[in-house]
Amino acid sequence: MKRGNEATNSHFPKAYYYLQRNYTLQCLKIAFIMVTLPSDMDRRELKAYAFLLPSILLAAVFAFYPLARSIIGSFLTVSQSGRILGIAGLGNYISLLHDPAFISSIGNTVAFTIPFLLLNTSITLLAAALTRKETRGTSIAESIFIAPLAFSLSALALIFRGIFRGSVSIASRITGLDIAWLEEPVSAMAVLVLMGVFLDFALDYILLLSSFRSIDRSILEAAEIDGASGSRIFLSIELPAAASMLHTTIFIALKDAVLISAPVMVLTGGGPFRSTETVMYYYYLEAFRSGNRAVGTTIATLMVLSSAVIMSLVMRRRRNG
Amino acid sequence: MARIIRTIIIALLAAIMLFPLLYAFSASFFPPEDFTASEARFLPSHISFRGYALALGHRYFGRYMLNSFITALMSATLRTAVSVLAAFAFTHLSFRGKRIILTALLATLFIPPDAMLYENYTAIARMGLLDSYAGIVLPSIFSASAMLLTMGSYAAADRDIYDAARMDGTGDLGYIARMLVPLAAPVSITVFIQAFISSFNSYLWPLLVTVRPRMRTIQIGIAMLGFAEEGEYGAQFAAIIIMTAPFLLLLLAARRLIMKAISGGIS
Amino acid sequence: MKIGKTLAAVLAMLLSAALIHAGGSSETGTVTIWHSNSGAVGNAFEEIIDEFNRTIGKENGITVESIYQGAANDVLTKVKATANADISSLPDIAQLDATAALDMMNSDYLILPDELGLDTSMIMPSAIESLMSERGLLALPFNASSLLFYYNRTLFDSLSLAPPETLDDFTAIAPLLGEKDSSGRITRYAFAGVPATYELCAFIGAQNGLSYLVDEENGHLGTPRRVLFGEEGTFRNFLVHWKALCDTGYVSNITNDISTEFAAGRTATMLASSSNLSTVMSKVGGRFEVGTAFVPKTDSAATGGVNIGGGAMFAFSEREDVKTVLGYLVSEEVQLEWAEKTGYMPVNTGLYDSPEYIAFLDSHPQFAVAMAQTEASNPKVTGAWLPSAYQLYYSFQTEIRNVTEKGKDIDEAVADMEAAVQKALDDYAAQNLNQH
Repeated sequence: MKRGNEATNSHFPKAYYYLQRNYTLQCLKIAFIMVTLPSDMDRRELKAYAFLLPSILLAAVFAFYPLARSIIGSFLTVSQSGRILGIAGLGNYISLLHDPAFISSIGNTVAFTIPFLLLNTSITLLAAALTRKETRGTSIAESIFIAPLAFSLSALALIFRGIFRGSVSIASRITGLDIAWLEEPVSAMAVLVLMGVFLDFALDYILLLSSFRSIDRSILEAAEIDGASGSRIFLSIELPAAASMLHTTIFIALKDAVLISAPVMVLTGGGPFRSTETVMYYYYLEAFRSGNRAVGTTIATLMVLSSAVIMSLVMRRRRNG
Repeated sequence: MARIIRTIIIALLAAIMLFPLLYAFSASFFPPEDFTASEARFLPSHISFRGYALALGHRYFGRYMLNSFITALMSATLRTAVSVLAAFAFTHLSFRGKRIILTALLATLFIPPDAMLYENYTAIARMGLLDSYAGIVLPSIFSASAMLLTMGSYAAADRDIYDAARMDGTGDLGYIARMLVPLAAPVSITVFIQAFISSFNSYLWPLLVTVRPRMRTIQIGIAMLGFAEEGEYGAQFAAIIIMTAPFLLLLLAARRLIMKAISGGIS
Repeated sequence: MKIGKTLAAVLAMLLSAALIHAGGSSETGTVTIWHSNSGAVGNAFEEIIDEFNRTIGKENGITVESIYQGAANDVLTKVKATANADISSLPDIAQLDATAALDMMNSDYLILPDELGLDTSMIMPSAIESLMSERGLLALPFNASSLLFYYNRTLFDSLSLAPPETLDDFTAIAPLLGEKDSSGRITRYAFAGVPATYELCAFIGAQNGLSYLVDEENGHLGTPRRVLFGEEGTFRNFLVHWKALCDTGYVSNITNDISTEFAAGRTATMLASSSNLSTVMSKVGGRFEVGTAFVPKTDSAATGGVNIGGGAMFAFSEREDVKTVLGYLVSEEVQLEWAEKTGYMPVNTGLYDSPEYIAFLDSHPQFAVAMAQTEASNPKVTGAWLPSAYQLYYSFQTEIRNVTEKGKDIDEAVADMEAAVQKALDDYAAQNLNQH
């Protein structure tokens, strides 16, 4: 019989955990220390810290602390139950990069991101451009275009699963294609991309539409009086004016695409044959389902790094533009 | 001619965007055998309310909806409040370490919460907050972008009013509550609506931190109703319609406000 | 003063949220069970639990709280995550399947049936064997099932065909079972599905009377370190016969909603757990007669039969209440009700000659096949306890599809599969074997 050699044993009184591990208590302690800080400190200054306390605490507990743990953990060998077995150095990174499942999850993420970005950007831009002038009927179109906002992720995923259920599904009937949609890697990815567009469409549409509509009317009217054609006005005045918002929506879409995991989980579960398993879904599987901490912390660290790189590139671009 | 083409394209796009909703609506009235028909149906062979009866009779369906509302409301309220306090401090007060603290808080923009899932789960569990509203809500309260947004609008606030209020003996909290928040209401509404939507839609996190059905939110609940496993797809679609309908109505009723709130966020 | 107020307000706001709490799990008198029973099976389980709470529970002051946590691997995911993060939130009992066995065997929070002092003498021997490890019996078998061959009996009868005994038999009749429309589109397949770990435990395990996928008797004697299906040629043998079946063109390589396809008459046969029987029959709804038969053998030398699958109750608490509940769950009355409503085989051998159960089997011949198949099987044919079960499940399907659809060389597929499993074993050993 092998019983626990750690303190994490079910016989320990519950109170033990509260005392040892209750962060709420620790937060209170920090708050107490802040209140009793040296008296030479300006009371107004102290007040500023009090106003910032919730933000600082929450950011520390739910962003910096887990980040630190992930980074440190990625250089260690940790058992499933969280015990440190040794220092791995770069070992976790090396074995991750040699893991065919991880490499293919990167490929899957790219295979999702590129068509998703193209389709999402073109379709939202098209919808926003066509309805940018408020006329009779556009309010109906607007209502329809923002309707997907009412759908939550899991509801939409269940509907999509219904629409694309096998080769005798309603989707096959409409398209006339004899495809078992979610059973083939290519078509499953296509359905996932389509669902991604549905999830982001309404939001991007609203952003682009408002950006089109916030253009100074007098400029457009002046151009019209000058005799410029509608398409000319659109291409040389309206589109450039909306360019910065377009960048924003593309950036949001890029971030969503690179980090996609929940839609994969509810729509395809990574299948068929792991062909829709994205990096973040792989992270979820390894960290939670397999309890493989090395992979979990290493991917987490890599994802923070890559999202930081993407964000700083976008920011620099914005600043220069 | 161009108008006709434009109308056709809009109609086509609208049809695509509406299709899942219409199909779900129609399928919620399918009798069970319509789902295994050899030719896929769009309309039910006859109207069946079996799906609605099953969905409404489900033990936890109402509870799931309630939990989603409560947690979304908590998350949105707290995020708005926390953002207001922080934004006020950064725009109205001077104190040592301001730059460092601001930089640090903004640096969280680089940390995707999804990549912190496991560590945050562990933290919440060790706080003893599994299966609690607090556990569902806490990690989502602080948002650097919400804070940044609020700061943007508070920076423009007239400092004379603040100084006058202080002269009158109004405390900072009084000033925030009576002057700042009402004056910059649009930004708070934006933060609130965005937080509400994102909390209501979150799937993975509540799935991880809830254990009991009575704490689950509708997002995970709907996938756990167990209807699909029984072949009762109609009940599943009925549940989806029941949960979506109120939002759709709200969305259509408050379309202008919501569109404004969302576009106010990023610009 | 004001600062204090501000602070208090802010903290109160933050912490008031923390007070809304669902409460702990291990209050005395409450026994929590995490389970994976959904649909008709879920309803049957809830009824059994309700019955307990009304009777034995009431007398003894015990309330069972049963919590559906999704599929069996979702329950395992939750158990592992909870155990690592906040062990006090573990349930008292979790219903898990064979994919959990390896993790449970190496965990320090599992309470064995022996430690609880449970009497397991009346439990079905092959169910005991399926959960026997180096530590002893890991959990109390509750829902025993086996792989079963489902077929459209009405169709088979109309063609005067009997269910195939071997894969070669199946290959011979597949073109008869399939159907094409005038345009050459297949409207009915002979078989739908892609074998994965569960099916392969039978297809490989039965070969030469008894074979294992990995060493240590599929991991039951200890953490497995070495892959066997490659060097013993068992996976290769299976692939050869399976490819021949697929080459008829009447196998649909789908992995989702197979029973819906079966119920809609779009596939003549499928492989599924015997536990799906009642759900499948209700899905079919009398449109045709559902037949069940023994799983076709890989070849005529594959006489080992099938392994016991399904689930068992893993205990994480030593309380007397837990023992009472577990005893109830395997009692004759409960197991009879459970078997009748679901298709699981009763694990209590006391039922096997009870007139009531025999009468039930007589009137529901489909339910009797699983029992007969198990009796005809070598009890040493067991499920493989593999780490990273989820990933390997997909790897098996991928390699099988690579062979049957993309023309990948069989030996190459076997080598790739062997490497994938070996890597999972190595990773697991590196992270877990130094622990104790």
